[in-house]
Amino acid sequence: MFRSIRRSIRRIAVLCALLFGAGACMDYGPLDEEPIDLPQRGLFIVSEGNFTWDNASLSFYDPATGRVENEIFLRANGMKLGDVAQSMTLHRGRGYVVVNNSGAVYVVDPTNCRLMGLIEGVVSPRYIHFLDNDPTKAYLTDLYDARIAVVDTSTNRIRSRIDMNRHRSTEQMVQWGDYVFVNCWSYDDKILVVDTTTDRLVDSIRVGWQPTSLVLDRNGKIWTATDGTNGEGSALWRIDAATRRIEEYFPLPANTRPSELTLNAAGDELYFIARDVWRMSVGAAALPDEPFLPYAGTTYYGLTVDPETSEVYVADAIDYMQRGVVYRFTPAGACIDTIRVGINPGAFCFKAGASNRAGTSGDFGLSDIKVEKFGNNGSH
Amino acid sequence: MRLLLLLVSLLLCPLIVFGQGDSVARTVAIEQVAVAGVRPMKELGVQRTELDSALLRENISSSLADALTGGSTLFIKSHGRATLSTASFRGTAPSHTQVTWNRMRVNSPMLGQVDFSTIPSYFIDEATIYHGASSVGVTGGGLGGAIALETRAPAEEGVGLRYVQGVGSFTTFDEYARVTYAGRRWSSSTRLLCSTSENDFRYRNYNTKAFDVDADGRIVGSSYPLQRNRNGAFRDLHAMQEFYASTHAGDRFSIAAWYMDSHRGLALLSADRNTDRQKKNTQDERTLRAVASWERLYGGLKAAARGGYSFTDLRYVMQADPDGGGTMIAMTDARSRLHTLFAQAEVEHTIGEKWLLTAEATIHQHRVHSGDLSVVDQTTGLRADTLYRQARFELSAFAAARWRPVERLGVAANIRWELYGRSASAPIPALFVDWLLSRRGEVTLKASAARNYRFPTLNDLYFRPGGNKNLRPEKGWTWDAGAECTLRGPGRSLHASVTAFRSHIDDWILWVGSPKTGIYTPVNLRRVESYGAETKFAASASAGRDWRLALEGHYAWTRSINRGDKFSPADESVGRQLVYIPEHSAALNARLSWRRWTLAYKWTFYSERYTMTSNDLGVLGRVKPYFMSDLSLEKSLVFRRADLSLKGCIYNLLNEEYESVLSRPMPRLHASIFIGITPKFQRR
Repeated sequence: MFRSIRRSIRRIAVLCALLFGAGACMDYGPLDEEPIDLPQRGLFIVSEGNFTWDNASLSFYDPATGRVENEIFLRANGMKLGDVAQSMTLHRGRGYVVVNNSGAVYVVDPTNCRLMGLIEGVVSPRYIHFLDNDPTKAYLTDLYDARIAVVDTSTNRIRSRIDMNRHRSTEQMVQWGDYVFVNCWSYDDKILVVDTTTDRLVDSIRVGWQPTSLVLDRNGKIWTATDGTNGEGSALWRIDAATRRIEEYFPLPANTRPSELTLNAAGDELYFIARDVWRMSVGAAALPDEPFLPYAGTTYYGLTVDPETSEVYVADAIDYMQRGVVYRFTPAGACIDTIRVGINPGAFCFKAGASNRAGTSGDFGLSDIKVEKFGNNGSH
Repeated sequence: MRLLLLLVSLLLCPLIVFGQGDSVARTVAIEQVAVAGVRPMKELGVQRTELDSALLRENISSSLADALTGGSTLFIKSHGRATLSTASFRGTAPSHTQVTWNRMRVNSPMLGQVDFSTIPSYFIDEATIYHGASSVGVTGGGLGGAIALETRAPAEEGVGLRYVQGVGSFTTFDEYARVTYAGRRWSSSTRLLCSTSENDFRYRNYNTKAFDVDADGRIVGSSYPLQRNRNGAFRDLHAMQEFYASTHAGDRFSIAAWYMDSHRGLALLSADRNTDRQKKNTQDERTLRAVASWERLYGGLKAAARGGYSFTDLRYVMQADPDGGGTMIAMTDARSRLHTLFAQAEVEHTIGEKWLLTAEATIHQHRVHSGDLSVVDQTTGLRADTLYRQARFELSAFAAARWRPVERLGVAANIRWELYGRSASAPIPALFVDWLLSRRGEVTLKASAARNYRFPTLNDLYFRPGGNKNLRPEKGWTWDAGAECTLRGPGRSLHASVTAFRSHIDDWILWVGSPKTGIYTPVNLRRVESYGAETKFAASASAGRDWRLALEGHYAWTRSINRGDKFSPADESVGRQLVYIPEHSAALNARLSWRRWTLAYKWTFYSERYTMTSNDLGVLGRVKPYFMSDLSLEKSLVFRRADLSLKGCIYNLLNEEYESVLSRPMPRLHASIFIGITPKFQRR
């Protein structure tokens, strides 16, 4: 009997050794880094990933060749982008990727996506706006903080914070002269006005419930879209930036949550998602009868317009749990490419070619920078 | 590695003194072995796994999630130590696993799932896992299965006391005490458990980097930081009081009340650049559960009635201090209060030796009050109305007829019907057959099939924002078939089983939504087909009075496939494995006892789990497979006035770096030591 037990023990020891060996085969460790060489012109696509999954990613699409490079941040730097990448802006040869639930803005080299710097000290950053009238300053909004952070662009450090008078959930920004306009989205109905010369909140404009998006057209008119709430429908709003008065109000069809306002290359056509994808002239007196792209069973999630060609890019999040796709359309609405990117593609950023340094669709007459920030067409 | 060798050496050193003998009286643990041949009528055709009591009593810091990981084929999705741990059967979702405690369902009526990390294994005396169709006999809604947890009256007469203290890595302290009294007519048990830990284990963070930055903010160097788990500290308190009484007339009464007070930090994500002074997530939970029951036998009729109540106060707070100046402001303050009343009546009637008839009616009345108290409506300056208040009445009626016409054949038919608020399920039938193929080896064939439903939870329907009042219940069919055998010999036994299963679930409820807006909505999206096989074995052998070896193994192959319609033409999820369902999972437990020494080894394995519905294999698309090894050594010491036990445990024996959930690094090698004392009072 003892012999049999000893035999059993020997067998167990062999089994344990095998299991130990199996354990030693585990594959976990540093992420591979590789050189990335991005074309001179193209489109950065920011995929948010899933909340608390740390699976945001950055892709780059070359419209000339139709080639897409995915996860370029991870591949170039050997680290994850983080949790919920919110937006990207190019400024003076640097790309600023705002990663909301990681509390960071990563500064990357747009030629190879290598990290050059980072901005920390914000809990839940959303959008960054570089001031036209002060190249050393940028404003950074936050989902939870009732203050806008003022970033020193030469050191990537936070210089000060601007009190927003209890308005949390500051979002996108556009600039008209010395004033920056910012929409307050969550449980709010205000467009706030900040004087960039004093870094102080100076005014507010009341619109509808939860303004989600903000752009400035070629005529100096600010556009926003509001979600609406009990008894109040969703709507588009046009505000004169100079007088801060609401000029037009366009009620939208029931049960549509408008978002992703963007402008074409000339800044005279407004695009937005409200279940369908819509396009209208900035001078129109009424909404168009037909959408630019009707709802086709897809989850339209992101939208941008090429500032040089006015081609339209529409993101489909599909089921929010797989790599989304971006459809590329001609200005006439013909689909010419389908691009598979990361999870929940929600923001875009054009990298303009050297031959077209003035191409922009935002802050007309105020900016000479070459890129567009998705949904914000604002300053760069 | 040197630390590992040192700890292994310390654990194994006592083996050197084996030869010195142990002359004092000893107790030998008797393995629980089901007596086959005379199969209980209630188990005809039922696929069940009884969790080994040795796993439940492994150590006082173990949760039921730890015990289930090692003792079953269930997939435990754990976000870390003392953090959300859910269980799923056969490729289904955690909300498809129904859990009862002393027959009262304890799934959250808001979320539908159970956090097994909040159930200390020392507070459970019996845990039985009912796979697939077999769950219909326990409760409704178990599309994957059900887990029945029970407490039991103390076995030994007289006064008993057991006190265990544990000290572990990461400033972890555990204390457990149980006081029992058992007389002729009544008994009492009081259990207390307190666990605290800084839980600040170190890990190499491969998901982000630490940077060297010059005065102009330019990055001049970077490396993967060796950092501590941030904001993972926890403090859990549990208290349980039980009374059991019986009368001369044959009535048996019991009451069990369990109170939990838990304060847990939710660790920051590994790629979060905030410090724990800038951002803090905490979860506080106070839960009281109480069940009273009465049972009596009237000849061939057994009647039982139970009543219970549970209350949960759950608070999740996210605080932030962007300046790091020390003033935290609540960004999210989600508060939920849940009340549940429970009542159950049950009769069982035995007719001869061939029939067992059962009827049961169970009601749960829930009342929920939930919302985020931190949100201020800026248009009014008042707190935003994010709260929902809902009450729901749930009735589940059940009847079963079990028939054994001949000794070898058993047939059971169950039917269940459920009412949720104003909605009712169609009748839920289940059929079970088992056939004793061979007395030699006690080879038994089993098969079962059932239809099942699961109603949307209160959050599914009413959560603000995002709840969907138009959801349909999930419904499905499931069947399984398998064989089991038992071999016995002098001093040894072997029990093995293998089961194949298949199920279809329609209208699978999935929360979808936008991280950008933070608004998620549940929708009836998927049609899921799952199939696979489960196998398990338990073997034991003993030699003389000194040596004893017990082995237990589990393996499951699970395919859980999305058979739904495409969301859009670009959808690549159809025909793919569901996220976070491992195709292969396995566990092995080995326990070698020699006199008063016990050496135990636990090994678990999960194959890769996809994190995208399209099953991409990139860094962001999967959690890599992992093997985990734990080792423990225990020594019992017997003295005239008390028994002592000393136990050392090493977790993650091979010092592996791994993640169980995307971007949630787990602790590397760590250890605990436990000292237990059981005073010997004068027995009655």
